[in-house]
Amino acid sequence: MGHLEDSLDQCIKCNVCMTACPVAAVSPHFPGPKVVGPQAQRFRHADQPVPDASVDYCSGCRVCNEVCPAGVRIAELNARARAQLVAAQGQSLRNRIIARAGLVGRLSSGPHAPLLNMGLGLRPLRWVMEQVIQIHRDAPLPPASRHTFGHWFRQRGQRRGLRQVVYYHGCSTQYYEPWVGQAAVAVLEHNGFEVIVPDQDCCGLPLLSNGDFRSAERQHRYNVAQLIPYVRQGIPVVGTSTSCILTLKEEAPELLDLTSQEVADVAAHTYDIFEFLRTLAERNELKTDFRAISRTLPYHPPCQLRAHRIGLPALDVLSLIPGLRLVESQAACCGIAGTYGLKREKYALAMAVGAPLFQFVRESGSDLALCDSETCRWQISHATGVTTKHPIEILAAAYGL
Amino acid sequence: MQYDSIVIGAGISGMLAAIGRAEAGEQVLVLAKGHAATHWATGCIDLLDVGDGDPLAGVAALIAAQADHPYAIAGYAAIEPSLNRLREICDQGGYPLVGSPQRNLLLPTAAGALRPTCLVPVTMVAGDARQLPRTGSGEAPLLVVGFRELRDFFPPMIAANLQIQGFNAEGIYLTLPPLEGAADFTSTGFARLFEQPAFRAEVGTHLRRLVRDGGHQRIAMPAILGIQHAAQVVAELQAIAGAQIFEIPTPPPSVAGMRIYHILEQRLRTAGGRIQLGAYVQRGEAHGTRLEAVYSEAAAREQRHRANRFVLATGGIGGGGMRAIDANHLIETALRLPLRAPASRADWFFPDFLAQPGHPIFRSGVAVDTQLRPLDAKNQVVYTNVAVVGAAIAGCDHIREGAYEGVAVATGWVAGAR
Amino acid sequence: MQTISTDVLVIGGGATGSGALRDLAMRGIRAILVEKGDLTHGTTGRYHGLLHSGGRYVTKDPQSANECARENAILRRIMPHCIEDTSGFFVITPWDDPEYGDLFMANCRKTGVPVSELPLAEMRRREPALNPQIARAFEVADAAADSFLAAHTNVLAAREYGAQVLTYHTLIALLREGDQIVGAIVEDLRSGERKKIACAYVLNATGAWAGKVAALAGVKVTVLPGKGTLVAMNHRMVNTVINRCKLPSDGDIIVPVHSVAVIGTTDTFVPDPDFYGIEAEEVQFMLDEGEKLVPGFKQYRALRAWAGVRPLYKDQDVTNDRDLSRTYKLLDHAQRDGVEGMISLVGGKWTTYRLMAEDAVNVIAQRLGNTKPCRTAEETMPTPPFERRSVTIATEDGPTLHWLGKPLAAVEQTQAYNDLICECELVTRSRLQEAMASGASNIDDLRRMVRVGMGPCQGGWCVYRSSALLYEERSAKADPHTPFHIEYANAALLHFLQERWRGLIPVLWGDQLRQARLDELIFAGLLGIHRLRDHARQGGGLVTPE
Repeated sequence: MGHLEDSLDQCIKCNVCMTACPVAAVSPHFPGPKVVGPQAQRFRHADQPVPDASVDYCSGCRVCNEVCPAGVRIAELNARARAQLVAAQGQSLRNRIIARAGLVGRLSSGPHAPLLNMGLGLRPLRWVMEQVIQIHRDAPLPPASRHTFGHWFRQRGQRRGLRQVVYYHGCSTQYYEPWVGQAAVAVLEHNGFEVIVPDQDCCGLPLLSNGDFRSAERQHRYNVAQLIPYVRQGIPVVGTSTSCILTLKEEAPELLDLTSQEVADVAAHTYDIFEFLRTLAERNELKTDFRAISRTLPYHPPCQLRAHRIGLPALDVLSLIPGLRLVESQAACCGIAGTYGLKREKYALAMAVGAPLFQFVRESGSDLALCDSETCRWQISHATGVTTKHPIEILAAAYGL
Repeated sequence: MQYDSIVIGAGISGMLAAIGRAEAGEQVLVLAKGHAATHWATGCIDLLDVGDGDPLAGVAALIAAQADHPYAIAGYAAIEPSLNRLREICDQGGYPLVGSPQRNLLLPTAAGALRPTCLVPVTMVAGDARQLPRTGSGEAPLLVVGFRELRDFFPPMIAANLQIQGFNAEGIYLTLPPLEGAADFTSTGFARLFEQPAFRAEVGTHLRRLVRDGGHQRIAMPAILGIQHAAQVVAELQAIAGAQIFEIPTPPPSVAGMRIYHILEQRLRTAGGRIQLGAYVQRGEAHGTRLEAVYSEAAAREQRHRANRFVLATGGIGGGGMRAIDANHLIETALRLPLRAPASRADWFFPDFLAQPGHPIFRSGVAVDTQLRPLDAKNQVVYTNVAVVGAAIAGCDHIREGAYEGVAVATGWVAGAR
Repeated sequence: MQTISTDVLVIGGGATGSGALRDLAMRGIRAILVEKGDLTHGTTGRYHGLLHSGGRYVTKDPQSANECARENAILRRIMPHCIEDTSGFFVITPWDDPEYGDLFMANCRKTGVPVSELPLAEMRRREPALNPQIARAFEVADAAADSFLAAHTNVLAAREYGAQVLTYHTLIALLREGDQIVGAIVEDLRSGERKKIACAYVLNATGAWAGKVAALAGVKVTVLPGKGTLVAMNHRMVNTVINRCKLPSDGDIIVPVHSVAVIGTTDTFVPDPDFYGIEAEEVQFMLDEGEKLVPGFKQYRALRAWAGVRPLYKDQDVTNDRDLSRTYKLLDHAQRDGVEGMISLVGGKWTTYRLMAEDAVNVIAQRLGNTKPCRTAEETMPTPPFERRSVTIATEDGPTLHWLGKPLAAVEQTQAYNDLICECELVTRSRLQEAMASGASNIDDLRRMVRVGMGPCQGGWCVYRSSALLYEERSAKADPHTPFHIEYANAALLHFLQERWRGLIPVLWGDQLRQARLDELIFAGLLGIHRLRDHARQGGGLVTPE
């Protein structure tokens, strides 16, 4: 008892999840969370083939978990079933590539990045990619950065502060959006923190959501080994990529059944950056020397943030900035779900899932939208043409950093 | 973050309390584990099962007979204003509720039984049994129309049961118009289809042919006729078909109930309130008789929420506000408040499933004082800044008394007003 | 009154009756079986579904043990589709006498029950959920059996040899001329029609009801109905039949069946096999015992409890019910009571049904002058058409289990998700319609045939759907003379809900209590089923025998 699979006992078949699932709402291929989750789970056996490939259409957005009145870990049941499918049937080349965000990022970023980015902008090349590795020709692939975040941080050096904090940047900040990390460092240092950036690997989420649990476990163990020395000194770990942070906090330990004290300690001391800043604010330890930003901006709390079950910390903290008004999207999901919406067979689905969000962003009339998750930002910008930023960038701006 | 009020539970009672507070200018947060009763029940407002009689008079009699009934605690004076408040909110949401607290309507169920209820959405009111064609009246039969693909609505059974109760009814299945790729035939899936003008136009045309051939004045359909624009969808279908159309609620998930939830949610958001779903409140933190904070389950560690006042709207055993942790012990799940429950398991159930007045265990709940504050076994107030509303209050079997929404509306309104 | 002539009338459509019917038919003896409900309506359909290795009886009832061991091997051969080869463990927990292990092994050898001691590491590898404090484990040839399928299999085989079966026929009278039984009057519960069956011999194979039937012939047979309560848990937490290695007692066995595990049993004397309750205490006791085998057992969701009544024959004063022999008795009423033309089979257990049938038919055949030998142990039986063949999957050095995912794979393959009527047990509309077409007389029959209503929600959604579909299927076929009324469908619905409630009360707490409340919201709130009580009556082929 106490296993993830046992949570199916709590299902009372009420179908609330079926009404909320954004994928089932637009796809004939996905029978819905109750159906592939607690209902199907009774017919899955650890030592026997998984009978239903339909479960692979679960995007892992966890909206089902969010609305379930009974606490069934539906999305996690689905992730486990997918891993069992992958273990039995093997992984496609495409999924092996896109699940290795760190490797892809490492290969893409650097001096050759501009050339590569130009290539990714070329239709014929994307067509070839679609044919060969099944990545949809229109899917939002972010331009790689010439310089990594790590490079910037090393060049600049660690700066002393009164208290220390570890920054987990994740792959997107490292290879594509170093400015997000720079904003985070600036905000943390402004609040008197000494920011430490230890060596780190991908959090493993893309591997988890593509069913390659074994490789994900290697990455998680590596990260735990890197972070545990700081955690043992009571130094918290914060991150701007909300999905990476959720993976460190909960998804990796839970899905991979990692029960060691080290894993638990790292999870217990890891925070989404706004979760961390909100705690500071509650203790009156957050600096409030904000300049006014007289703007109204659309804000999408991504499903990956909502899956932390911590409310909307970015909204709480940014509400301290004079003049700034954020309008919360009520959309379930942008559709991309990490790597899901990149896939040739799922791209259109992901765009359909995100349609209400895109409409919300467009109708806001704003030329800027905020979102805590990188892949969601790319998806929103791709679908709407509206510029997107991480909320930390606005906070840094409010501090005048 | 310090809120003025935190409401635990996002059913009708919690949402009404939250709206009341937020519209009074308070900072309000609703914490809920998930959706529940709104997504399960009929989407009608049951006040009291007095058959087709006067439910308000019934409530008065009930209050006189049972001083600790939730209606008695809310007070007779609260009943009508609370119902009016909900009507006003639904009206403004474009989904009017009709009916009168002085007279119940009798509406056909998806099994063809007649169910008393007080206020009903405008999309259902044409189903009142008083208006349905009687056998031998010479009127054309009521046409009960469904889709084979929908597994929660069976026109032949509904029509046959109406017939043996003296109504003239006929049940048929419609062939679905050709669909592009859609394969979600849940009630929600159908409701989304009805939001598409082309789809409902096709269905409407089909209905018009049936009306022309059969002379039907009235058509019953499952309550799947749109989610956001149901009133408009039904009006449009009626106009095309040339007959009155009414909806019959289907087993969970209840599209009709979801409509009301969405309206309440929008109203709360407009008033500046916030809703956090997936937030399972599991304990509180008190200072003496004052509740300081509640803790909800979250990834890696629980989340603390502070407020000046709290409303407990977590529901009964069905909603998850109470849980039997084993064969003998019932607990209140959010704050571990003391419960009034049958003394021994031997008294939990009757051998007859459908026995009236319902199984004693389901009358369990938190005892409250006149301000809805929770009481312990010695009738001392447990927390002075907590109000308990809806099905979490002891002394009522909300389902079997036919008071499911009525108690929620009355107590939720009171908690929102005080 | 219609008169049907036959050689032998078999009363009782359980394992023994259907087995005897096949045996009779194979020897060329004309035979008719009557059953007041559906096949396996009685005890056969209400046990844990265990094919005994014999291990349970090696110490207290060596003859039973030996019979079980021999029949176990035979049944695996003649009806493999009815058996899932789960294998079985006998384990010594800290609550059991460690000395019993050696005695158990020795007695297994003495009684011919194949056994081997299993290294603990091997036991843990195969069943990681078992209590790590288990001191010794022995492996035997226990297996999970589908008793409903088995009865249908026997009946199908018997029909191929010319036998007849009348289900939903209740026995009204046994016809006796002097000291000779010459036939019976039966009533078709569906039409109310009475029929006379003239026969040379009656085989009373009614188990716990044998005393009631014998009384109709003016013969006294004392059967002690021993109630055995079972509880189905919502997880198949073990894949092997797990027994406590000790003398048989309450709650000492867990049997994996489909997607659930069943824990059993109790043994309580009940005065009447038709009226008994299930006490919450019995269930609690068994769950506590389950906890000793599988830590965390009590935390799993209990779905339902039910009880079967064992036919324990009392021919002498025995104080403890469990000490009554589990072997069977063949009562030849000619020798015993001076009444010719009838024998009663009492006692016994599912695993030995074939042997019991063989013994009884040997006597009958001899009286009838039939000299053909019994061949029921040799011939493999056909698979009934309603059975979707199970797929077996071999595990690494473990037993060959059924593919648990087979029903799901079938739904996935046809993308029939939108067509599921019982979502818990993955019963599609077409599967349900097939079952209705093959003669289901109520929702309980559908439950036995296709598992409708057996999952976690215990019929919350599918019972309403099933009764509505029953109405649609039957009313469409009705001719003007025998119209199918909606009242029949209402009665079927109400009856099933009430039956289900009986099995639920003892396990209602936690999630199952919450489920029950949601189900009540659906039936009493939203559908208002109780408002149709005055519009429900039995008939039209839908009957629910008591």
